[in-house]
Formats: sequence, structure tokens, C-alpha cells
Amino acid sequence: MAADSKKWLKFRLASILAIFLILFIALLSRAFQLQVLSGEKLKRLADRQHMTTLSIHAERGMIYDRNGEKLAMSVMAESVCADPSRISNPAKVSREISSILNLDPSSVLKKISEPKSFCWLARKISSQQALMVESANLEGIFLIKEPKRFYPNGPLAAHLIGFSGFDAEGLEGLERKYDRYLKGTPEKLTWARDAKGKKLFVHVEQDPSEKMGSANLVLTIDSRIQYLAETHLKEAVLEKGAKGGVAIVMDPKTGEILAMANEKAFNPNNIKGLTSENWRNRAITDSFDPGSTFKPFLVAAALEEKVVKESDRFYCENGHYQVANRVIREANHKKHGYLAVRDIIKYSSNIGSAKIAEKLGREKFYAYIKNFGFGSRTGIDLSGEAAGVLRPVKSWTRVDTTNIGFGQGISVTAIQLVTALATIANGGVRMKPYIVKGFTDRNNQPVKMFAPETVRRVISPETARRMAVMLTEVVGAEDGTGKRAHIVNVPVAGKTGTAQKFDFARGVYSSEKVRTSFIGFFPSDNPQVVILVMLDEPQRDKWGGVAAAPVFKSIGEQILNCFKTNIRETPAFEPQPVHELQLVSADASLVEDMTAAENEINDESRMPDFKGLTIREALKMARSRSIELRVSGSGWATQQFPQPGSEPGEDRLCKVIFEMKN
Amino acid sequence: MFFKYDRRIFQNFDKTLFALVMSICAIGVVNIYSTGFSLGENATPLYLKQIQWIAFGLFFMMVAFLIDYRYFNRAAYGLYAFSMASLVAVALFGHTANGAQRWISFGVFLFQPSELMKISIILALARYFDDHKSHEPYRLRELLVPFGMVMLPCALILKQPDLGTALMIVLVSASIVLFIGMNWKSIVIAVASVMVLMPPAWHFLKDYQKNRLLTFLSPESDPLGTGYHIIQSMIAIGSGGFLGKGFLKGSQTQLKFLPEQQTDFVFSVFAEEWGFLGGLALMVIFTSLIIWGLKIALHSKDLLGTILAFGITALIAWQVLINMGMVLGVLPVVGIPLPFISYGGSAVVSLMAAIGLLMNVSVRRFILQR
Repeated sequence: MAADSKKWLKFRLASILAIFLILFIALLSRAFQLQVLSGEKLKRLADRQHMTTLSIHAERGMIYDRNGEKLAMSVMAESVCADPSRISNPAKVSREISSILNLDPSSVLKKISEPKSFCWLARKISSQQALMVESANLEGIFLIKEPKRFYPNGPLAAHLIGFSGFDAEGLEGLERKYDRYLKGTPEKLTWARDAKGKKLFVHVEQDPSEKMGSANLVLTIDSRIQYLAETHLKEAVLEKGAKGGVAIVMDPKTGEILAMANEKAFNPNNIKGLTSENWRNRAITDSFDPGSTFKPFLVAAALEEKVVKESDRFYCENGHYQVANRVIREANHKKHGYLAVRDIIKYSSNIGSAKIAEKLGREKFYAYIKNFGFGSRTGIDLSGEAAGVLRPVKSWTRVDTTNIGFGQGISVTAIQLVTALATIANGGVRMKPYIVKGFTDRNNQPVKMFAPETVRRVISPETARRMAVMLTEVVGAEDGTGKRAHIVNVPVAGKTGTAQKFDFARGVYSSEKVRTSFIGFFPSDNPQVVILVMLDEPQRDKWGGVAAAPVFKSIGEQILNCFKTNIRETPAFEPQPVHELQLVSADASLVEDMTAAENEINDESRMPDFKGLTIREALKMARSRSIELRVSGSGWATQQFPQPGSEPGEDRLCKVIFEMKN
Repeated sequence: MFFKYDRRIFQNFDKTLFALVMSICAIGVVNIYSTGFSLGENATPLYLKQIQWIAFGLFFMMVAFLIDYRYFNRAAYGLYAFSMASLVAVALFGHTANGAQRWISFGVFLFQPSELMKISIILALARYFDDHKSHEPYRLRELLVPFGMVMLPCALILKQPDLGTALMIVLVSASIVLFIGMNWKSIVIAVASVMVLMPPAWHFLKDYQKNRLLTFLSPESDPLGTGYHIIQSMIAIGSGGFLGKGFLKGSQTQLKFLPEQQTDFVFSVFAEEWGFLGGLALMVIFTSLIIWGLKIALHSKDLLGTILAFGITALIAWQVLINMGMVLGVLPVVGIPLPFISYGGSAVVSLMAAIGLLMNVSVRRFILQR
């Protein structure tokens, strides 16, 4: 031994111990670094390694109108794919398949020449194309069924419904706003895997509070009324050479939107090349100067505040009234002397309205404007609603007050305007407009139903009634501005309006470009529907009563033809599963079209109408009628021989052609 | 003849040492139970086998404890020769597992002579330096014989191949030599020659050994290949966090992401399930054991006892340090088990026997006269 002394030995052992201790402490710090400092990160890494999560979505829910008519549904569509490894003659195959599918042969050739065993060639093709692909029977080419969103009524209510994308993600409209419900909460399947990827246990994870299968959307829309509104709006837009238009039909007692039409329409089944210009729902996104349609709200405020009575007379300055530095004139250069308040409404006097506004005072006027819902969003359950423009009352000059009195210098949306008029129609109580009645589950059992929502009382029932009487004069009187909206035997209340569009380029109100509108409701003693019609830049019949009122009249007449409107037994504030307006007359051609199929369902001796049915539905109907069906194509029935309604032959055979509608 | 009954042997029995070792063994068994928890319908669970080995080891511990270590000293060269013969036997007709020929099969169990060699080399070196006492630090020439004694088994063990055990034998031997004193010049020469020999030695390493060393330098470069062990080990340990995931709850362990979990990487299992706190506790026990071993070396009445106690303590200390360094990703994966914790019959039995020797030295300071 180098040194015998115990001390020397002790020193050496102590040094060695010190070395060991230092090394141990180093290891401990390493463990601390791994476990405490980066522990969370490594824990996530570990979780990721042994957990696999798969989200499973249910089939996307349908969108129904209030009567159960399908507005959006998911169908199976065929997609073409190829197995390049099984194609021996790519040149020939690419030539043939691209001629069927209208594809570029060289890019197809490139795809199917790659050393793969799968590639897509075309997704969600039409049934005719699928049939052609099938009959061509090319080697290595096959069809796969994929779910595709389909809108059976094409452009009907397209601005409301919107559309969904390639992989069934809602992109616009209700499809987007309620995407979460239509899609449902996905079930999360979590597997723990071991190191070899073997599944060890399956764990279905669902947050119970969030859990919801894919739901169907039930709208307040009545697709028959929607169809009426769209048809007549379109007709008017074409006839008057307008840029576009909006029509809204609303139930004043509940706030339910029965129809909301936009022109130009688009087909959500084919959105290629369309932009937001096409699918924007202008009824809620665009605001405009309401013009004379705003006058009823001024008068309602003045009546409620007891500032005026119907019979109070105002001097209308013979059509020339100077307020500060601005001269107010009447429309069409009319000249009025003294007019009673009811006549100011009937003749739509700007000067009279300006004087009422001055008498009411800007503060009170402003408060009523706010209460009627202008200047703020109505809260309708649609995306993209605009608030309009209502400047704060402090900044109002005398000119502003008088201008707003006849609807200039304030900007409103169509939905605000119709909701405000519905307030008068509903005895002074403003309802929140809504478009989604509720959700149903896969078995069409209600999951959640939305009840009508009262916003506030704006005017007293008495004032509302008096307003209704005055507005009925506008339409009913021989010399009323709204007489073109008159419907025989039904008291109609309404108000015309034409507002010059503000020309931003020149900074003045344009005399050429106008928005002409008509708002009204009927029957005015017990209002059932409120209708707004607005035409954007009509080239002919610019002035309110002429262009928009007849559209109101046609929609109103046809609604009356279709429905018995005087029955409303259930209280207004309870949710009703189906709108209780009922069909009375089958005279109108439209009703005939719509109900033909229904009527014939019960008629054994005649050939039923298979049109619009799926193969399965058609087969079911044929079976119940003991009719033999000869089916060709796929999708929905478009043609049938013999025609519906004709007598079936001896063999009771019917040939039906099915096609994918697009 | 070997064993003379003496009351004092039992009066001064080193209870502390025994308690420390048994507590580590118990932790080991519990931990192995956890690794085997997801093994399925295996015949005998590993933890039960480990208990059997511990029981077997206790017997050898008693033998090593009761017989005066000076008798072992006389038998040291014989034991060394026996170990060498076993290693030769392994090289000639050993049992192969996991690509290495390390074991001799005895039918019911496998015997790993390299584990025995760890003890034999300590005894042999102690004998040699006890026989060749010197008042001066040893010079290189005087260390030739011990050098040969170490290199011979190392060569055989490296050939198996078992880098870890060979490294351990070299480390322990070097520690002993440095501990008893070596000429400064000799140290410099030795270190220099190792440096020179390193590059050619690289060529003698197996490809997988080279890979392990390279992988150690950057484990992320090959996450599914050679880096897998280290990365999985670090993920397991790290995901344990401060308090751990709890007994039988270590996902990386239970789902078998962690390789070699009952042997070399057993500490990862422990650290995943018991967290930093558990690891700290285990390290504290090991440190106490090492301090206790060094204390025994200090208090030994003769040089032989000091060298023996020191050698055994160094063996345990180095194994703990290298194993933990390896699973914590700070040292290359060289295949060294964690004493008393890792599963393995030969290692447990030889280590228990070594502890018996340590107790032997501990108790005989009360008996031996200087």
C-alpha cells in the first residue's frame, strides 16, 4: 500500500465518494430535466405514440321546410377511380375514359401510368356518365359510391340554405351556420396501441354535454310560399328590368320567416364559377334608404306619443317646403295643400311627414326608430346580417330629422323593415324573426324546437290598430298610392316606397337609380302574413306603387288561394309544428301541380306520379298500387310512361327514367 | 476448517447493509411485477423467478459471509481459473440468445460466467496486491500481471459479445489499481496508450456496438433503429413526471414500447411509474449503500479487506452510474444491468454473494487482530 496511514486511506476513500456523489447528482439533474422540466412534452409524445383517435361523423343531416319537404339531403353519387396496375393499355383506356368524362386525355394517361394501385379520375359524376363508364367496362376502371349533398329543389331557397363543399362541410348559408348540428358531434374512437401497433382496447369517447348525433334542420320556411315569392319576384325583376330584388313573407305573430326570396337565384347543386355576389342573401346583408315605407313608423310614434291624431291637418306647402337650406318636395311633383295625418300616409306626403317629424321631435322619434329595431341587427338566425345605419340622435340636424321622417338619411335592411311592419301587424309587439324552427334526430323526432321570441312592446294595441286602419286606406282607397296591391275581398294594409339610391361617385341621391318597395300585411283586421317586396333599380315603373305593389298582390293572392287565412285557433305564442294555414282551393294551377301527387296517392285506378321519387320510394309506391315498375337510370324519377293520371294498361306496367338532377 | 463458529459474527452482523440490499431487492421485485403485468399467460411470472433468484442469492450471501474472507483469498486464484474456464466453455459451446453467446445452459437455468468473473477479478486482484504489497505507488511494469489478469477475461467477454460486462471489469479493476496507488508517470503512459489504441480498437467492435456508440451521440437520427431504445427510455422516464403515473400505470411500459424493460432498461419503468420522486428515493438508497461500503473499506483491519470492500462497492457504484446514465440518455447503451433491480439470475446471485463478502469484511474487523 502506498501509504499506510489511516488518514491517507480516509482521504482517498472520501475523494472517491465525492466523485461518485458528483456523478449521482449529475444523473439526478438529468432525471429532473427529463421528468420535471420537459415532462409534459414527453408525456404528450408518449400519448401520441400509444393512442390513435378516429373521429366518426354520422351522415349529414337533412334540411326540411316546415311541412317536411326536403330542401337539402345527402345522396350517394358515383366516383370513378382506376387501378393503374391492372391497366395493360393505358393509351386506349385514357382515350375512352376521358371522352366519357370530358377530361384531358394526356393528364388521365399520366395518372394511370403511374406505378400505383389506386387513383381518382373523377368524383361525384352524373348518373348518365356513371352508366356510360359502367357499360364501357374498361379494365382497371371502377366506380365507388360516395355521399354527395343534393338540393332536390334546385334554386329554391338557395340563398338561405347555402351549400356544402366536396367533403360535406357546410360552406355558406344555413349549411354553414348549422354545420355543427348537421354534422353532429363525431364519436371519438380511441385505441391504445402497443409497440407493434396492435389495438389493445377501444375506448369510445364522447363528451356527454356535447354529445349530439347529426341532426336534421327544420325551417320555418314554407316551400310553397317560398316558391310563390321566388316566382313572382323573378317575373317582376324580368318585367321591370331590375337588377335584382328581395321578397320576404313573415308570420307577424311568431316572427317565423315563411319565405325569403332573392333574385338572382342560383342553383346550389352547381356552384362552379359562382361568387359571393351570387349567393349573398341581400335580404339581410344589404341596407338601403327605405323611403316612404318608413313613414308608418313615424306616424305610429307620433300617434303613440299623442303628438298627432289621424284627423290633425298639416299644411303641405303646395309641394315646396324649405327646411334650413334644403327644399323638400313631393314625389312626382305633386302639390298638396292641407292634409290630415291619414292622408299624409295615403298620399305619401313628404312635406307632411317632415312636419310630423318636427312636431314629434328628434329625441322621441329616435327612440321609436330604435324600438322598432332599426339601427341594430334583428338577431335572425342567419349569418351576415347587417345593422343598417342610424346615426346617433345628437348629430341630427333639423334637415336630418325631417329627411328621416320620409325615410331618407337612414339605412335599413329588408329584414328590419319587414320586422318593424310585423310589429304594427302584431298589435305593437315586436317578435324576433327566425328561420330555424328546430332540430330533429335521425328518426325525425324533435330534439330541440325554438319558440317565438318576443323582443318588446313598441306601441300600444290601440295605436297598432289605428295604424292598420290608416295603412288599409293606402291600398283600399281609390286614390291611395298602394291601390295596385289591392286584393279583392280582403282588407290589405300596406305602404309603398321608392328611395333614390345614393350615388357615391357623385355624392348625391341619384334620380335615375331607385329602390322601389312595398310592405304590407293582410287581412288588416287580423294580420296573418306580412310581405315585403323590394326591386333594385327597376328600369320601368320606378315609383313604388307601380312596380312593387303588384308583386305583393300576386304573392298575396296566391297565398290566399292556397290557404285559408282566417283560421288561427292556436295561441300565437306557442310553437306550432306545422303552420296551420291550410289549403282550401285547388283551382290555382300552382296548387294543382303541388297537390296532384298527393291527391292521386289514394287513387288506385290511375297511374301515380313517380316524378321526383327515388328508386326505392318509387318501388314502394308501385308495390302499394300493384304496378310493375321498369326502372332505368339512377337518382330521381324524371319521366314516366304512361303519364301520371292516365289509366294503367292491362299489364299495369310503368316505365320510369331516373336521373341525377343537377 | 473454513468456518469457525464465533458469536461475534452474529452479534456484529451488518444489519444496515443487509436492510439496504433487501430493500433494493424488494423494489426490484415490485418493479419486475409491473413489467410482467402485461406479459400475459406466461408460465412463471418473472417477478416470482426473481424472488427465487434472490432466495438462491441469499444462500450464497450467507456462504460468502460466514467463511472468513482470508480463506476466499486463498481460493481467489482458483475461483479466477474456474471463471476463466467457464468463459472458455461459453466461447466453445455456450448458449446463444439475442445474438450473443454469454450463457452456459444447466437445463433449468442459464448461468452467465461473466457475472461470476466480476467477483473473481476483485478477489484475484485483492489477492495479487495483498501478496505484492508496496510502499511506493505501483509502476507500469509491476502492473503487467494484473493487467494480463484483467485483459484475458475481457477479451473472451468482448468476443461473446458483451461490451458492458467487459467494460465493467476494466472499470472496477482500474478503480482498484488507482485506489491502491499508481505512479503518476504510469497513469499518463497508460492513458496515452489507451488513446492510441482506441482507433484500431474501433475496428474490433461489432457493427451493433459501433452503432450504439454512434446512436448515443445522436439518438434522434434513427428513431426506429438503434436510437429506439434511448428515445423510448427517455419518453417513458419523462412522461412519468414528478410524481409518476402510478404502479402498473406506465403506458410506455405496459404497452411494450419500452424495450429490455425487465433487464437493462428497468429503471425507465420505475421512473415512469414512480416519477422523479421515486427515482430520487432509489438513488438515495444506492448512495447509502455505496457510502456504507466505503465505510467498511475504511474500517477494515487489513489491506485485503479494504481492497475487497472497495472493489465490491466500486462494482455496484459503477453499475448503478452507467446503467442510469444509459437509460437517462447521457451514456451509450452498453448493456449493464441495474444491481438488484434488473431481472437476471447470475447477476443477482453473484451480487448477493459479493454483498456477503462485504458483510464478511464488515463483521471481521471485530474479530481479526491487527
